[in-house]
Amino acid sequence: MTDVSSLSGSSRDVASQLFRARAHSVEVEARPRAEITHKPRKFNPPMPKYYYYYLMAPAIAILAFISLYPFFWLIIMSLQDVDIGGGEWIGLKNYTKLFTDARFIDGWILLAQYSIMCLGLQVGLGVTLAVVVNSSKYEKYLVTALLMPMMMAPAVAGLLWLFLYNGTFGWYHWVLQSAGILDSASILASADTAMYAIVLVDVWQWTPLITIIALAGLKRVPRDQLEANMVDGASPMRNFFAIILPNLYPVLLIAVLLRFMDNFRFIDSILVLTGGGPGSATKILPVYLFEVAFKFFKLGRGAAIALTLLIVTILLGKLLVRVFEKPQGGKG
Amino acid sequence: MATVSIRNVWKYYGETPAVKDLNITCPDGSFVSILGPSGCGKSSTMRMIAGLEHISSGDIMFDDVRVNDLAPKDRDVAMVFENYALYPHKSVYENIANPLRLRGASESTVKERVEGAAKLLEISHLLGRRPHELSGGQKQRVAIGRAIVREPKLFLFDEPIAHLDAKLRAHMRGEIKHLQRTLGTTMIYVTHDQLEALSMADYIAVMHDGELQQWGTPSEIFNNPVNAWVAGFVGEPAMNFLTCGIKGEGDAVSLMHKNFEIPLLPGQVRQLNGAAQTGVARMGVRPDALSISMTKPSEAAIRGEIFVNELLGGDMLVEVELDDCRIRVKTTPEFAGKPGEACYLTVNRDKWHVFDAGDGHAYF
Repeated sequence: MTDVSSLSGSSRDVASQLFRARAHSVEVEARPRAEITHKPRKFNPPMPKYYYYYLMAPAIAILAFISLYPFFWLIIMSLQDVDIGGGEWIGLKNYTKLFTDARFIDGWILLAQYSIMCLGLQVGLGVTLAVVVNSSKYEKYLVTALLMPMMMAPAVAGLLWLFLYNGTFGWYHWVLQSAGILDSASILASADTAMYAIVLVDVWQWTPLITIIALAGLKRVPRDQLEANMVDGASPMRNFFAIILPNLYPVLLIAVLLRFMDNFRFIDSILVLTGGGPGSATKILPVYLFEVAFKFFKLGRGAAIALTLLIVTILLGKLLVRVFEKPQGGKG
Repeated sequence: MATVSIRNVWKYYGETPAVKDLNITCPDGSFVSILGPSGCGKSSTMRMIAGLEHISSGDIMFDDVRVNDLAPKDRDVAMVFENYALYPHKSVYENIANPLRLRGASESTVKERVEGAAKLLEISHLLGRRPHELSGGQKQRVAIGRAIVREPKLFLFDEPIAHLDAKLRAHMRGEIKHLQRTLGTTMIYVTHDQLEALSMADYIAVMHDGELQQWGTPSEIFNNPVNAWVAGFVGEPAMNFLTCGIKGEGDAVSLMHKNFEIPLLPGQVRQLNGAAQTGVARMGVRPDALSISMTKPSEAAIRGEIFVNELLGGDMLVEVELDDCRIRVKTTPEFAGKPGEACYLTVNRDKWHVFDAGDGHAYF
C-alpha cells in the first residue's frame, strides 16, 4: 500500500498543474469527519423587518384615502336615513327593513338564477371551446377572434344586442320567429324571454375569458400522464375526465371566481338592454341596488344593500375556493 | 406475450426522418434493449410500438396482428415512462389499479392484483400515499407496479431508471431483470446507458442516427461490434482507436504505427481479405485488452509515456501518451508507474479489432 500512497502523491503533482481545482477538492474530502453533537454558540438575529413598514407606508396611506375611507363611510351611511338633503341616525333599521322588502328578496332569487345560468353556460362552453381551440392548427387566429367580444365595453355590447334583439329589424328576433320558437312580439319586452336574453349577452361576452384561461390550463396538462393513461387503456373521453379536468381545476377556480364576482357587479349591459324590466323580470339585486341608490337616492338603504351584497360575495367566494381545492388532494 | 416484429418502419417528423427503415424481431418472452445516444430514434420507435406516435411507413406486428391502426388502449401493452407519469391526484393504490379499473375489473380482482404487485415490488406500505410523498426510487416502483398489475402482451420501458442515483440504478437493474424473468413477458427496454443494456438484455438493438447499427446478444455486441461506431459506443471505459498503416504480403500482415509494428494473427489476415491494399485502417482495442509494463517485454509492444493515472477503486486506468494520440489501459491498483515515465503496452491480439478507415465497418 505504500506504493499507492506515493503514487497518488506524485500523480497529484501532475494533476495539480493541469487540474488545480480537482486536486484541491481531493484534499478537502480527505479530512476526517467528526460527528456533530453540539449546537452553535450563538444564533444570528433574524433579518430585521421594520423597514418593510416604511416601504409600505405610502401605499397604505393612499389605499386608506381612496379605499378604506369610502368603505367606512359606506358602513356609517347604511346606518342612517340618507338622501340628497342629509342624514339622520336610524341604527339598524335600514337592514331590518330589507327582510320585508319583496323586491330585495326577488332580487336575490333573480341574481342566483342569473349567476348560475351564466356560470354554467360559460364554464361548459368555455372549456369545450378551449379543448377545440387547443387541438386546432388555427389556434392563434381562433384566439384572436375569441378575444373580440371581451374587448368591447359592456355598455356597447348591450347596445349591439339591443339592436340584434329588436322586434322590428333585429336579426335574432327574425331568426327565432321564423323558426317558430318565439311567438311574442319582442324578446326583451317579454318576461318569459328577457332573462335568457341578458344571460346570452353575458355568455357571449365572457365565455372567451374562460376559454383563454382554460386554454392556458390545458397547456400545462402533463403529456406523459395523458399518454400513460392512454396506454393503461383509457378512451379520449375518460382521459379528459381523469387527467385533463383535475389539472384544470386550479385555473378554472380563478376563472369561475372572477366571473362570479363580475356577475354580482357588472350591470352595464342589463341597464342598457332592459333596465331591470319588463316589470321586475330582470331586476337582479345589483340592478335593484342601482335603482334604490341612484334613481330614488335612498343612499342609506342603498349602502345597506351594497354591504349585504359584499358580505355574501365574500362568503360565496370562500366557499367556492374550498369546493374547488378539494380535488387537488394532498397538494393543497 | 407476443413476438414483436418491426418491419421496414420509418418515422418522419415533418421532413426530418427520425427512424430509417428499421427491422427488428423481438422473440416471444425475450428482454430486448434498444440502445443508442439521445436523438437516435429509440424513443420514437418505442412510442410507435405503444401507439403514441403515427408510423410514417412500414408495419409493426404483434404476433400476426398488424397494430399500426390500433389505439394505444387496444394494443394491450404496458409502458413505464422516463419520468414515471404517475397521476398526482390519485393514491399509489389507485395509480396501480388504474389499468384494471379502465378495463372494468371487479373490486376483488383489483384488490388482489394491486396487493400482489405491491408485494412483488416491496411497496405494500406505500399504497395509501400520494406520488408527491414518494422518493424517486419509490415512484419508479409504483410506475412499474402500474405496468405489471395486469398481464399485457408486452412491456415497454422508456429509460425508467435514468433519473435514479447510481447506487439505486445498479440495484434496480437486477430487480427489473429478475422481474422480467419471473413474469416471462416480452420486454422492450429503451436506454442510452450501454451498461444497462449489456447487463439486462437478451438482445440489444444498437441505433444511431435513426438506423439500426447492430442486433445481437450483449456478448456479440461487446465482442464483435460490426462497426467502429458500435465499438466506440459500447463499453466503459471506451475503446481506444488508432489510425494505423497496413503492411505486408501473403500471410505476414502487420499494423504499422509510429510507436509499433504488430503482426496480425493468421486467421485475421484472412478476415482482412485483401483490404490491406488500401494501406490505412483503424485499430480498436479496449483498455482491458491491453497490458502495461515498465520494462520492454519480449514480444512486439507499443512504446509510450505515462500521462496520468486514475485510480478507480478496484482498477487503475492509465492514460498513455503515444506520438500522436493517447490511449487508455486498465491495470491493477498495484501498478507502480509514475506520470512521465516510459512504459510498454502489449495487445491481446485475440481481442483487438480492425475497422475500415473509410466507412468504419469491422473486418474483425
